[in-house]
Amino acid sequence: MQAIAYRRSEIQVLDHTADLGIIVKSPDLQTLFEDAAGYMMQMMVAPLEEGIGHDFAIRVEASDLEDLMVRWLGEILYLFEGEGQIVTSVRIEALSPCSLSAVVRQTPFDAEVHEVLCEIKAVTYHQIEVRERAGRWESRIIFDV
Amino acid sequence: MDIKLEKVDDCRWRIPRTGPMRVDGLIFSNDELIKQVQGDQSLQQVANVATLPGIVGHSLAMPDIHWGYGFPIGGVAAFDPATGVVSPGGVGYDINCGCRLMTTALTIGDVRLSIKELILSLFRNVPTGVGSTGAVVLTKAEEARVALEGAAWAVKQGFGTTEDLERTEDLGTMAGADPSVLSERALKRGVDQLGTLGSGNHFLEVQVVDTIYDPKTAAAFGLQEGQVTVFLHTGSRGFGHQICDDFLKMMSQKSNLLPFDLPDRQLACAPLQSEMARRYLAAMACAANYAWANRQILMHLTRETFMKTLGLSPRDLRMRLLFDVCHNIAKHETHRFGGRTMELCVHRKGATRALPPGHPLLPEIYRLVGQPVLIPGDMGTHSYVLVGAEGAMAETFGSTCHGAGRVLSRSQALKRAKGRSISREMDDKGIVVHSKGKKTLAEEMPEAYKDASQVVEVVHAAGLARKVARLTPLGVIKG
Repeated sequence: MQAIAYRRSEIQVLDHTADLGIIVKSPDLQTLFEDAAGYMMQMMVAPLEEGIGHDFAIRVEASDLEDLMVRWLGEILYLFEGEGQIVTSVRIEALSPCSLSAVVRQTPFDAEVHEVLCEIKAVTYHQIEVRERAGRWESRIIFDV
Repeated sequence: MDIKLEKVDDCRWRIPRTGPMRVDGLIFSNDELIKQVQGDQSLQQVANVATLPGIVGHSLAMPDIHWGYGFPIGGVAAFDPATGVVSPGGVGYDINCGCRLMTTALTIGDVRLSIKELILSLFRNVPTGVGSTGAVVLTKAEEARVALEGAAWAVKQGFGTTEDLERTEDLGTMAGADPSVLSERALKRGVDQLGTLGSGNHFLEVQVVDTIYDPKTAAAFGLQEGQVTVFLHTGSRGFGHQICDDFLKMMSQKSNLLPFDLPDRQLACAPLQSEMARRYLAAMACAANYAWANRQILMHLTRETFMKTLGLSPRDLRMRLLFDVCHNIAKHETHRFGGRTMELCVHRKGATRALPPGHPLLPEIYRLVGQPVLIPGDMGTHSYVLVGAEGAMAETFGSTCHGAGRVLSRSQALKRAKGRSISREMDDKGIVVHSKGKKTLAEEMPEAYKDASQVVEVVHAAGLARKVARLTPLGVIKG
């Protein structure tokens, strides 16, 4: 299990008057998906105790890479919003343009221990991009907050 | 698409139809407010909405327009039911996010000495913040009834009176709701969030009426100078977010079947004649009803808190609902357009319905004066009560602005707040603030928003709604 690895990517926060956007630049596609999830969790809650909890398998199907990114992050977000679970680490096991399989480690949110830094309501399709540029992979993601 | 912006007059700007746009864009704004959006993408979003099929009239935007996702926030668009579409991005994630204004028999002198205690009590009694759970724990069967009945369900449970319902848009119940179309996830997220305020820009604010612009209408609304009011801003919580998310994903997956190119995937939509549209509108109505029930319960908690904290009887307090209006919705409505009476599907994304005097949808109590329009400011500045005017029916399918609108991104607001205590600054202005999230106050500080008074002046001058009264904050709770 890899610890949350957003540190392997360059993250740029976009100024957006209504919402919150990020650009993630990563050495490869798998890292892009893992780090986008890691950074999203870091934006949402602190402290993020890396790698604690129990494993949970996720499979996501989508129509293309952009759709896959929205649905993947949407799954991580749902674990928090719907199930009260903080994802502390992610590992992508298989990735294609239209599907991914991952194992995430999750631990229950505890209001006495964790502070919510930012409520992300949804991962939007607005201006979503996932593309390869000069040998690196990058994605622009806008969150509804 | 290059955006060409033409000034029509002192409160109207036009984006002429070009490229794939099917109609012109029309933005209500003034010279100063329009400058604030020329650097972002909200005008492009007005143009993008104009490319959707079946759009009627103009792709409209109110003076509080700002960059959203898909539709701009402050956007209004009406679609022909035969050729048009419904777009969850034209409604927003927080379905039926809206406002409710309560009047009381109290004057500022009655609360001046106890305002700190009152705001603290409200903060304790009204669940706020991310993940908060409500005073009402639902079974799934009850949740379905909330989705079907809206505020009427809450009143049946004892959270208010039938008088509240006639002072709520659509009487607090949107027709056409069908819980059978909801996902398990939506039901799960909604089951324990009823009676919660949420976070971000949602708030509950105790205010005083400081200016009356239109004494006759103010009297009809039960407003007078020096009176204490309570303003509530929240929506359908995770229940509505999940419904929007579910249908966006479904519609996005079928986007390639649409006979036109989407300029933005967030504008994913379905033809109004399709089964997908029927299912979305049925689910959206469930969320709208959940939001009305939510605000009704929060009003009840507020009333109880006032009575307990100030030692008042219901008769002493006389907390009454002035009106409850919705910001994020799509509705089948009847309008006059092109000399014909038509049924249209009107999307309001960060925009408020504004019906003029005499409109058949108005409750009897407001039939002669027009619909109350509630415009919240930010926590440090004034909010406004307006009344719907004829101009809205003529130009905006009965719509007007919904608030101040953000002018700073959250990261810009955090930078501006660095080294400052927003809470103390508010205290210095005589406004008591309690907030659950540490960052919320900084992100939501008054500088992050446009001047609501300018926004209101534009809709007043344009004849979409008329100013009735101005409200000054005394204390605020936020998530």
